[in-house]
Amino acid sequence: MAHLELAVPNDKQALEQARQSVLTFIEPHRLSPREVYKLELVLEEALMNRLWHAFPDGKVHSTNIVLHLRPRAIEITFDDDGVPFNPLDHAPAAPATSLQEAAPGGLGLALTRRAASQCAYEYVEGRNRFTVVLDRA
Amino acid sequence: MRRSARHSLDGASPVISLEGTTMQLTLTELDGAINRVALAGRLDAPGADAVGLKFTTAVVSLGRPSIIDLSEVSFVASMGIRMLLSGARGIAQKGGKMVLFGANELVQGVLDDAAIDQLIPIVTTEAQALDALRA
Repeated sequence: MAHLELAVPNDKQALEQARQSVLTFIEPHRLSPREVYKLELVLEEALMNRLWHAFPDGKVHSTNIVLHLRPRAIEITFDDDGVPFNPLDHAPAAPATSLQEAAPGGLGLALTRRAASQCAYEYVEGRNRFTVVLDRA
Repeated sequence: MRRSARHSLDGASPVISLEGTTMQLTLTELDGAINRVALAGRLDAPGADAVGLKFTTAVVSLGRPSIIDLSEVSFVASMGIRMLLSGARGIAQKGGKMVLFGANELVQGVLDDAAIDQLIPIVTTEAQALDALRA
């Protein structure tokens, strides 16, 4: 079972570097375009969420990412020492029915949960650990 | 459909490069004072950052009905969707309308998951987009 470990700083410039590292890692494993899309989506939304909300102290932090490629699933875990936040406590908002009421928040998490077959969260020893499982086609 | 005056919003090249991510916006004025905005590249957070201001200028500041060509957009995430929603909201406040067209299957899937079609018309072809705009 192939796996990748990354430490991604809470810096917007690091998003693209993390994406490129993931793409390089999965390249020999011939994932389908849909699998790659879902993986990139989950990566972007998780890292952007942390960038915006997890580290209000303004200091340098990292999100540790562990990516496992299994025959039937892709499992990606995000581990950080940011503000405790259980994304599974927040039910996806009902779709807006007008442009005026379309709220900017929560969309990334909603898309992540739509892409995932399983999500899990735990807070252990001062660290958020959020795991997303994507089914392989 | 005759097209006129293709130009960038600032009179310079519309291509913006951002550390490995290239996002391009091309504005074309169609007959009937309709804007055609072609987006190309990844509409992720860096991509939305790169073209967000130009997009807002194209669809909101000019206040014209707009069709948005997504056929060359390979990826969209929540930041890109926010950009599209912001543009549609701004143009609606000026009494205009925005229509999306040409999304590939994977991009369309994300737009569907976000239920964007409940807020912004999404069609397949440019002809359908123009019809939807005039409906």
